[in-house]
Amino acid sequence: MIRTIAIHTLRESFRKKTLHVLIGLGILIMAILPAIPTTDEPDARIKMAMVVFFQVVVLLCITGVILLSATALPHEIEDKTIYGILSKPVSRLKLVAGKITGFVLLSALLLVILSSFNLVSIQYRASNVPEEYRGILKARTEFAASHFSIQGKLHHARQGIAWIAGGRSGVALWSFSDIKKTHTNTSGLDVECNLKLESDRGFIDTIPLMITVEDGIVGCGKTEVRSAQIDKPFVLKIDPERVLKNDTLNISIFPILPTDYIGATQMDVKVFSTQQGFVSNYGKAVIITFLKFLLIISIAVMGSTYLSAPVSIAAAFVVFLCGHILEFIKDFSLLIQDHHAHEHAVPGALKTPNILLVYVDHLIKKPLEWICLILPDFKRFDGLKFLLKGINIPLETVVVSFGYAVVYAGICLFLSAIILKKREFF
Amino acid sequence: MDSYAIRAEGLTKVYKDFWRRKSTSALTNLNLTIERGEIFGLLGPNGSGKTTTIKLFLGLLFPTSGKSWVLGYPSGNLTIKRNIGFLPEESYLYKFLTAEEILDFYAKLFDIEKKERKRRIDALIHEVKLDHVRKRPLSQYSKGMLRRIGLAQALINDPELVILDEPTSGLDPMGSRQMKDLILDFKRRKKTVVLCSHLLADVQDICDRIAIFNKGVLQVAGTVRELLSQNDAIEFVIKNLFNDDIEAVKAFIESRKGTVLSIKHPSSTLEDLFISIIQRR
Repeated sequence: MIRTIAIHTLRESFRKKTLHVLIGLGILIMAILPAIPTTDEPDARIKMAMVVFFQVVVLLCITGVILLSATALPHEIEDKTIYGILSKPVSRLKLVAGKITGFVLLSALLLVILSSFNLVSIQYRASNVPEEYRGILKARTEFAASHFSIQGKLHHARQGIAWIAGGRSGVALWSFSDIKKTHTNTSGLDVECNLKLESDRGFIDTIPLMITVEDGIVGCGKTEVRSAQIDKPFVLKIDPERVLKNDTLNISIFPILPTDYIGATQMDVKVFSTQQGFVSNYGKAVIITFLKFLLIISIAVMGSTYLSAPVSIAAAFVVFLCGHILEFIKDFSLLIQDHHAHEHAVPGALKTPNILLVYVDHLIKKPLEWICLILPDFKRFDGLKFLLKGINIPLETVVVSFGYAVVYAGICLFLSAIILKKREFF
Repeated sequence: MDSYAIRAEGLTKVYKDFWRRKSTSALTNLNLTIERGEIFGLLGPNGSGKTTTIKLFLGLLFPTSGKSWVLGYPSGNLTIKRNIGFLPEESYLYKFLTAEEILDFYAKLFDIEKKERKRRIDALIHEVKLDHVRKRPLSQYSKGMLRRIGLAQALINDPELVILDEPTSGLDPMGSRQMKDLILDFKRRKKTVVLCSHLLADVQDICDRIAIFNKGVLQVAGTVRELLSQNDAIEFVIKNLFNDDIEAVKAFIESRKGTVLSIKHPSSTLEDLFISIIQRR
């Protein structure tokens, strides 16, 4: 029965040409991309294709899907076609579930068609880009340092950055654990360093660095001198078969000349496994994006069980927007002074709570905290940030996002059924 | 099993405004029973509570007080909806579908198997005389055609109880007569029909019992014969009588203390005349 209603919903969007319009617009947007000027970076067009698809085309589709899913039930009620369904043995829960499933199918269809087009266009653009700039088309696994320390003398520390001077007075050391467990293929590892470099030698472009990459337990590895360009990250390629005998990897760096300095933090050196598999990584990004659709559809349909079409559209958009700025809302609520804190801060006769702060606390701070708790976090469903860095989307990220979306959609479905069960159709 | 197709006890519906204040009393204390296998007419002017009563039976509205049972189950019960067919007062159908598609959609909601679905769809489309437009979207249908397909969807599950809200509205006299014949056929097939109309002639022709509503209150209920018969008057319909004979009969009646109220030639209804002309051509 849910399937019947879902297919009916899908057919409606097909017959009313909504699907055609969304696909047409999406393809049009992607097709006019080559006409838009980009920076001189060779991979700029690839990046633009990804950004335009995941931000512009997906947003367009989400807008279309919100408009459809937020208005489907109100239109059924307004046109009274709902009489035809509810006079049949269809429970209200199944009606809502069918509607949600229909729109989810529609989203899946949209994403499959448009992402296939986008993927083909990315691969085509990549074929015109030199091999060394195709890093973005990799699905590397990122390893962050588990430990960071300065061996020897720390020159000074400023704003969380540890600075060491050259000439072996101090060495910056990054330790990585569990690399071998996770890194299964032997295609190689990249060490990406993004250090701050300074020198007393005046205006210079490069600073010579001594870099040692070694197994954390056995100690075997390789040491090389690298001329690092100021303000530019550099990548060191290593052969894991030679270096990695155990799970841990140590990377130590220091400037060779005593007049040079490096500033480092724990996040400045990262290790990436250089796996191929862009298509599967792209697929994971599309799946994560699809979960975003599932979530907003459930919310829009839930709103439409009680609200009229325009109000339910507006509500869905507000939730979608707020779901993207939850961090900002959270930060904002933290900035608002708690009236209890004020009480403790003021002695004696002034200990009576400031009524204005009490109101602010109850009318602004607490609602904002509740909003952060209730609203879904749409930022969680961002696959683009991984693709742009050429980083493999961890399976855990996909699974956790899936669980989050399914649980949230389940709650929405449950609430929708309860609301609709109480509704009368005049 | 309940011997009644529909039973209502003290059924009351009061519509409330946005602030939950009582605004309109749509139905007041309805006590009613409808037997299985009978054609029952709900009569009344617009806004008298007929449609509200039907919606309460179907579970589309919830009663403010009182209870009702349909085919032995409380109103709105999902199981019993398998045995109900409902034709709303207007054809609220999905206009982007064809006749075949809409019937298939509703048949699927009853979990009817594919083969059986096809058989029923073909039979119903033929029965409501829409074979020639079965593949055309409903958006291109006339009001009468929509009414017919609306009736077909109400019968897709071969229901035990058929609820028809203004079934003849939008139909031409031929369609109206076909609809009446169809309803009479339901009776022959031992189905219960609840008919809601403000066209008195329609109801008089086909209903076994009727109930008349006004301002949400049931005014009177009973068989059509009971409600319409005038026990203190007698009607003769005589053929081939000359004027002299008429005077003689009149004089005879008056000699026996009877009063002749009217002497006139009997006439058929406009509907009968219209149909006879159309069929002759």
